[in-house]
Amino acid sequence: MLGLPVINNLIALLLWESFFVLIIMPGFAVLGTLLLILPWIERKMVGRMQWRVGPREISPRTRGIIQLLADSLRFLFQEVIIHKDAHKRYFLQFPFLYFIPVLLPLLFINAGTAGSPLVPIVSDYGLQLMVALICLMPVFILGLGWASNNRFAFIGTVREAFLYFAYEIPFIVAVFAMVVMYGTSNSVGVVDAQAGGLWGIILNPIAALTFFIAALMATARLPFDIPEADQEVSFGPFVEFSGIAFGLAYVMGYEKMYVLSALMTMLFLGGGSGPMIPGLGEVSYLIWFVLKTLIVMIVVVNLRGVYPRYRLDQGMKIGWNAMLILALVAVAWSLVIGAII
Amino acid sequence: MKKIATPEYDIKEKLKCHATALATAAKEVVAPLSVTTQYPRERRKWPDCFRGYILFDPERCISCFECSFVCPANAIWMKEAKSGRYYPTLDYGKCIFCHFCIDSCPGGALKTTKIHDVSYTTMDEMFTDTEEMIAPPEIIREDEGYVEYEIDRDDLTLKRTKGQDNLIVDVAPSQGVPMVSVCVDSGSCIACKICEKVCESGAVSWALDDVKDVIRMAIDSETCTGCGLCVKECSMQILRLVRK
Ligand code: SF4
Ligand code: SF4
Repeated sequence: MLGLPVINNLIALLLWESFFVLIIMPGFAVLGTLLLILPWIERKMVGRMQWRVGPREISPRTRGIIQLLADSLRFLFQEVIIHKDAHKRYFLQFPFLYFIPVLLPLLFINAGTAGSPLVPIVSDYGLQLMVALICLMPVFILGLGWASNNRFAFIGTVREAFLYFAYEIPFIVAVFAMVVMYGTSNSVGVVDAQAGGLWGIILNPIAALTFFIAALMATARLPFDIPEADQEVSFGPFVEFSGIAFGLAYVMGYEKMYVLSALMTMLFLGGGSGPMIPGLGEVSYLIWFVLKTLIVMIVVVNLRGVYPRYRLDQGMKIGWNAMLILALVAVAWSLVIGAII
Repeated sequence: MKKIATPEYDIKEKLKCHATALATAAKEVVAPLSVTTQYPRERRKWPDCFRGYILFDPERCISCFECSFVCPANAIWMKEAKSGRYYPTLDYGKCIFCHFCIDSCPGGALKTTKIHDVSYTTMDEMFTDTEEMIAPPEIIREDEGYVEYEIDRDDLTLKRTKGQDNLIVDVAPSQGVPMVSVCVDSGSCIACKICEKVCESGAVSWALDDVKDVIRMAIDSETCTGCGLCVKECSMQILRLVRK
């Protein structure tokens, strides 16, 4: 192509399977696009639920789809204010460092289907690594809140810490239940075990429910947006952030939600399994995978229009009580069903 | 002692509530109702009693000052016209749109409109002279339709109609409560005859009391319109407005 050897190499690199899966789909490129579109979907759908219109005035003909682009431009040009009591270094570093635990789990996501896995790194400890990285995320939020040195940030951070313990254990146990069920923690094996339409959500609906609620808590979405509760602690740990730093903090939640939804798709919704789209080859699996992830994300964001916020004690009670029991029942269920199969 | 506690639901009822909430949300996503008026492309049709921009009709004004007395925001300042009469001016920088002035005007000289979107560039501009209050202000109208809210039992719908809503309210001026001026202390009257001079309807007359050799004023309650001018001007402050 054009006689330039570099271009050929570049294209070859882009189309190299592991690289393509990580960088383009369902990796960073799709994540970036979803980050631009998902808040719009959220605001539109929640707006409809609440008899409002949602974003509209920016490009009314496309129903305001570029609203988030406009918002990001605003974030970009706003002044980043670092107040004098903040721990300046951590205050600026944590929003960027946060990308590490958020993006690394994508390395182990299997977006393929049984027989044709599409995963950047195959590891026998894929699930464990993902869970470990996901459990690392709140630490960065705690760091953010601490560096902000603001009373609302402190309250939000402490709430985050409380909730962290409440959901983390049921979350890990729910994933453990699925590991017991599939008999493997390799992301390739997990998707292979769901061959033939016997998805994890059918095999173990209790684990799926627990995982889903834990994901809601982990992403601080309503009804569990207790740490960020804007009416109470005005965005909690992020209260001092402005400009591009706030933009980063704002998309953090969505990135985390993407990773958790992708994990949910892989664990419970059969990964990228679906009918082949003619002419696309293996890319059709990727499309199915992204579609399923998108549906999970849409359900997650739309709960905002349905539920009010739980109090902190209620949230903790749900985590330590109902969810922990549910998770343990899920493990027992996995043992029983696994024995039968 | 009665103790109030949160209602207890069993797990079945709780699940039912969750299901209803989610189903309602799904229904609204698919076929939502809407309560948003796309102003300025459309306007809401306000009722005729809307408290908006105030218009003034000098023909009906009897210069009674009632509006400027009653204004709680001190927004009305009476200005002397060439004819020697006093007419109201209105400072929209102060006005709180209570419309007390309209309610108190005995002649119905002030009237409301449905105009609520006048903008000014300076504070001085907001001071509206008598002359500017006569015609409705110039506003840019982009509306192609108007919206009415219809409430039936528990749902609310928007009714959209093409065309522009008339923002000038066409109501008959209020007749007010019929009042009449009476003298409460005729012994203090000094017969300055100011009331006779100010009365526009010729209801005040005077006559010489031959016995006591003093001038006695009289107010004809039939011709008195109850405008209150004499009450205001009376040097001894012995006139009162009472219900007819
Ligand atoms: S509407 Fe109320 S505040 Fe405004 S001028 Fe009239 S009396 Fe005064
Ligand atoms: S109350 Fe009415 S009649 Fe009296 S001065 Fe004001 S506008 Fe004129």
